[in-house]
Parts: sequence; structure tokens; C-alpha cells
Amino acid sequence: MKLESLLSFTCPVKINSGNKALEGLPFELTGLDATKPLILTSSKETGPKAIKTLLGAFGDSKMTFGLFDGIDEAGDLGLIEYLKNLYLKNRYDALIALGGRATDAAKVLNVAVSQKMADARLFASEPPIDKPLGPLVVVISAGATGLETTSWAHFGNRVYRSEYLAPSLAVIDPRLAVCRDAAAIACSGLAAFGRAVEAHGALPENPFRRAYSFAALRFLCENLPAAVSNPSHRNAALAVANAAAMSGCAFADGGNTTLHKLGQAFSGTGHVSAGEIMAMALPHILEDYKKTGGFDLAGLLHPLADDNTFAKTPENDRADAAIGMVNRLIADLQNIAGKALPRTLQETGIPGYLLEDILEALDADPDGARLYSIAQRMKDGVPSDAKKG
Amino acid sequence: MLLPDYYEFCCRVKLVAGHDALEKIPSLLAAKGARKPLVITDKGVAAAGLVDIVSRALDGKVDQSLVNDSVPPDSDLKVVHELARLYQENGCDALIAVGGGSVMDTAKGVNIVVSENATDLMAFSGVGALKRPLKPLVAVPTTAGTGSEVTQVAVIKDHVKHLKMAFGSYFLLPDIAILDSRMTLTMPPFITAMTGMDALSHAVEGYYCLQKNPLSDAHALAAVSLLYTYLPQAVSNPSDRDARLSMAVGACLAGIAFSNSMVGLVHNLGHATGSVCGVPHGLCMAILLPYGLEYNLHKREEAIGGLLLSMVGSKLFQETPEDQRAQKVISLIRKLNEDLHAKTGGRHARSLNEVKDRDGKPAVPRDVLPEIAKAALLDGASVYNPEETDYEDNLMVLEAAWEGKPLDRAKVRKG
Repeated sequence: MKLESLLSFTCPVKINSGNKALEGLPFELTGLDATKPLILTSSKETGPKAIKTLLGAFGDSKMTFGLFDGIDEAGDLGLIEYLKNLYLKNRYDALIALGGRATDAAKVLNVAVSQKMADARLFASEPPIDKPLGPLVVVISAGATGLETTSWAHFGNRVYRSEYLAPSLAVIDPRLAVCRDAAAIACSGLAAFGRAVEAHGALPENPFRRAYSFAALRFLCENLPAAVSNPSHRNAALAVANAAAMSGCAFADGGNTTLHKLGQAFSGTGHVSAGEIMAMALPHILEDYKKTGGFDLAGLLHPLADDNTFAKTPENDRADAAIGMVNRLIADLQNIAGKALPRTLQETGIPGYLLEDILEALDADPDGARLYSIAQRMKDGVPSDAKKG
Repeated sequence: MLLPDYYEFCCRVKLVAGHDALEKIPSLLAAKGARKPLVITDKGVAAAGLVDIVSRALDGKVDQSLVNDSVPPDSDLKVVHELARLYQENGCDALIAVGGGSVMDTAKGVNIVVSENATDLMAFSGVGALKRPLKPLVAVPTTAGTGSEVTQVAVIKDHVKHLKMAFGSYFLLPDIAILDSRMTLTMPPFITAMTGMDALSHAVEGYYCLQKNPLSDAHALAAVSLLYTYLPQAVSNPSDRDARLSMAVGACLAGIAFSNSMVGLVHNLGHATGSVCGVPHGLCMAILLPYGLEYNLHKREEAIGGLLLSMVGSKLFQETPEDQRAQKVISLIRKLNEDLHAKTGGRHARSLNEVKDRDGKPAVPRDVLPEIAKAALLDGASVYNPEETDYEDNLMVLEAAWEGKPLDRAKVRKG
């Protein structure tokens, strides 16, 4: 490993994962000087059982908490204003978010309550978020977006980014990380996979970032197919949820990557999961990297393969082997999940007019030509050269 | 990759590494709303000219920064309070710790006092007493070894009351760690060797001890790769900037790994040896590391063998049969100690009987080994060791390490 002259990395998130991890919440909150948290979730997204499990974790703690389970997809700042007033009036002192949608809302709300915004509805453009915010805990649920642990918040059509947006703690408990929805696990795992691949291969090499992406990719390669084949496979689903959290940490420190932009563009406007889009786009992106360079495809093989396979693969063959493994994993998952995991943009059922809108928006991006080209290939379902190989 | 039934992992420190990383401090402080830092260091670091390099990086970019080099080799409560007073009287708004473990511990103690307006530091001792973020703390390590720039603990000694106060909290983690190759360029080969082996012991023990987890593992593997590759280069050619930077990054990765996975027998016996005989910690780690691996081999053969790829790369890994990889790791670490012994003109001891005190006399007489074995029973590190240990086990390992002979593994009791 040869280090570049300057590198940096931050992951402000503590991860607590495993059996009865939820039961540690009162202790963790006390350590953050919080005694009265407000829990945000979407009952539609997470279901009543998950909420009941989370509330049960407070058991004998005698901790008072509030619950708002009406976070919706609208991304309406009016809701943030309402919640801000609720939070301040009731003197809550921490936020707990259950589920991806609630996490984005909680990040935005945390700015509003920590900075005591006069009117959160005016929080429309990217504000300077340059001071630590109040305690925020995210509980990773089945079907995690992978963005829960990042310093990003996507709310409505707005994107906020600041190191202070990242949660203080991510809790991964098997009771909430396991679900029976194979498609949801596949989409969550594929989004994590895409972000971890981009983080791991990004140059210049950063060993701090790579530690997170390495662990995420190993977990996904070893567990994602099993978790999608058998959604009640507890350990596999828990490993996928861990990988989602880790990939967010690895991604958070990187830039706004090609894959992320594509995933967000389609999930935001087209209402297709970012994981589905990333699975379609990733083979094309890696194929492009193979032609253009600027990405450590060969180094990607180590986390994707076991140590023996990596070691016995000649150095000159590692880039192709890595691409092959990525493509095989995606194809396997698409086979296992069947129609739940579309292979082309056509199969997603995005209406033509929306597709054109998305392509137009992508084209307007500073990296528009590249994004547009990849999206066109996804649209047409043209198999990549690498896939043929 | 194994997923434990339960694990926790945390490293909130902003890590900045590079040949000119120090120059980033003013903007990093500004992002924290700070402009007037108090630079804390010790006389050795100041005399080596390292604080001058830090001061030049700050010059004109922050309000005039204060430098104080009064930190003693052993942290001292009195000094903590003196520095806190200096901070408050001069309206400082951040701390920069330039040095090794004692400087870092002192800066963490000062930060508790100035952030909490504490008159009695003891009130914040133990784990979990701190409840909120402290003032911005920038850690600039000057040895590539301790990893204290990424640990959440501090030990402050009250030399008047003969008390040792331990503090543990995620709020003690520095906000920023600056890993700059210039901070270690003048470190002599002998010190480089033992501090580097200290870092390697953090990564290796962190990789096989009981609290290991997937993220500590990933950090440990990256650390082993950098440290094993670059330690001989940094010792042979101290002015090799790339090797120095790689060692600093490797030591930091190792610090992240072990502070989340904890350490075992090597540190357990090392702490006791240091306490009883005053042997430098890094040297204890270097000598004891192969023995810790041998002692735990039957319980952690696969994990220990897994280190080989990070150490030697694909070719030798592939050529080594799977059932011999763990043994190969142990023999390579012994060989590394041999190489460091040769490169330092014999100053890097390979066994406890080779360790000399400042007068050139044996620092660890054989008859003191029972005392060390007994002292080790009081050290918490044994809790995380894969195989159980008692007084007899400790003594057996110490005797082998004293003689510099491989452990007779037939005598290791398998629990």
C-alpha cells in the first residue's frame, strides 16, 4: 500500500450491533446526557411490530419518550416545523429515528431544534450546518437505505450535507434488521454494495475508508444471496444490515459519486429503489472504469473474494476477476429475486415521461455526459462488455 | 468474516494524514469555531524541534497560540491544573497536544477541567462520567506507536496522594488527529523499532483477542500490512518520509483496532514487566508478541494465519500451506525482532534477558519474573485473552521470553 501525500477520514457514528442491542438505548442516551428522546418513524414503512419492539427496549428504564409515527414520503418542511415545535414544547433532548425515511427527517429536524430555527419551513436551501447538533440515534431497520449512517440527508427534493448531520449512534438489532421481504433486503444490500464498491476502489487509496468498505463488501458477498434466498435467515439479514451501516460510513467521507447520483435521481423522481438502480448501473460504471482508469479495480478483488482466491489470482487478472464477481453477484440476486428486481429501466415500469425528466436532470449535472450515457445503457438494457466476458 | 453476537465500534476522530498535514490545523480549528489554541507538549518534544514545526504551521493563521512544554514523562494532576489555568487566563478555545501518551493524557485531563469548569478532576474519573462534548482537542502524535490519538481513555497521576486516576469516555476522543511524517523523522532507530512493535502488537492482539469484531478486524489487517512493511524501512532509513507516514497511519489504524477490540496476554505481561522493572512498553511488546501468539495458537490458529496475507502479500501466502500459516506469522515476527536487533546495533532486545537499564545492567533479573507474573494477575488485559491465564501460565511465558526460546506449547494448558 502506497499512501498519497494527504488523506483524511471521519466517521462520527458509533455502531452497536447484535443481540438485545436495543436494550442498550437508555444507557447510551444517558451517556449522551439525554433523558427524554423523541422517536420518529413511519408506521407504514416499518410496521407496528418493529415500533413495539423498539418501545419495549425502554422496559424498566423509567425513561420518558415521545413517539411520532407519521413520517411520510412527502418531505414536507411543514412537518419539520410542526415536529420542531412539538420537540421544543415538550422539552425532548434527543432524537431516535427508526427506518430510512424517518432518519432523513430526523437529521433535518435535529438541525431545526439544535439551531432553534425560527421557522423550519424556510430551511429550503443548503444552510451552513457548522456546529454539533443534539444527540441523534438511528435504529437500522430491514431494508435500510444505507444512508442512515452518512452525513447526508435527502428530504423531499432537497439534499443537505454536513459532518454534523451524521448520527451519534447506529443500533442494529436482529429483531428489527430481519424481515420477510426478500426484495427489500435485496435492494438494501445492493445499495450498500454499490456504495461500498465505489468507496473501496476510489483513488487515492485511503486505508481508513477502506476498512469500512472492506468489511461491508465481505459481509455482502458472504451473506446477501443467502439473505435474499431466505429472508428469515437471521444471521445473513443481520450481516446485510451491518454492511448497510458500514457502507454508509465508507461512502460518507467520499464525494457525490456517479452511482449515488443515479440511485438518488431515480429513487427520488422515479420512485424506484436506489439499490435496483445501482445494480443496473454498477456493471456499466465498472466497465467504464476499466477503460478510463482512475479506479482500483484490481484492489477490489480482495474484499469480494476470500483470501485464497485473491492470492492465487495473478495481479494482471484481478481487475477482470473483480468485475466478474460483481456482475455474478448482481445476476445471482436478480435470478433469486425474479421480477422483484428489474434488470433494465424498462422493467422498472417508470413511465416514459418521468424517465425523460430524469435523463434531462442527469444531463444537467456537471458530470452529465457520463451519467446520461450510463442511464441510456440502463434504459436500453444493453449488456455491458464486461458482462459478456 | 465473523459477525459476533454483539459488538460495539466507535472512532469519531477526524483523521488527517500527510507530509504536510499540520498545515491543515488552522482551517480544521476554524471549522470548530476555534482560533486560539493552547499547544501542550513536553520538553523532549520541544527540544527535538517538533513544536517549532507545529508553530510554523499555525503562524499567522490562528490568533497567537500559546506553547507550554511542562508535561512530565508521567502525567501529573498538578500540571493538569496549571495548564488549565493557563488556558483559562489566556482565553484559549482549543487544545493541541503534541507528543506521546503522557502529553495526550494530560491534554485530555486539561480538557475535562476547562470544559466542565472542574475543580476536582476526580469527580470525572471512571467510565461514563462525561456527558457532553469537550473543547476542541487536536492530537499530534510524535511516536508511531501508542495510538493514543484515537483512544478514549486517559490516566492522570496524583503524585501527592499517590493516586492513579483513569478516565474513560467517548468524549475524551480527540476531535482531530494529525498524522504528519515530519513528527517522527528525527526519532532514533531504536525508539522507532520499539514504538513500531508496540503498534504492531496492538494490531495483532486486536485481531485475535476476544472482543474482536468485523470493523476492528478490518482496521487491524490494514495496520499490519503497513507496519510490517514499513517498520524495517523506517528503522534503516529514518528520513524516509513515506515510510514514516505509513508508520503513523499504521499505528493509528492499530490504535483504532485495539481500542475497540481490546488486547490480551502480551499487554497483560507487558504492563506488569513495565511496572515492576521499568522496561519501556514498546520493548516489552516486541519481546512478548511472539509468545502471546504461541500461547493462544490452539484457540486462534485461523485468525493468526489470516494475518499472513497482510504481512507478506500474495506470493508467500499462497506458497505457505494453510496449516502452517499461523506458525509462519510467528516466525516472521521473531525474524522481524532479529532484524530490528541487527539494524539498531543490538539495542532492540530480543528477549527479556537482553534488556539493559541506563547503566547497562540487566533490567529484568531472572529472579524478578515471579513478581512480574504475580503483578500481571492484577492487570485487566487478561480478561480479553482467548486462553485463560494464571500465575503459573504467566511465569511459564515470562521464562521463555526471558531466555528468548520459543514457548514449549506442549506445556500450555488448554482451557
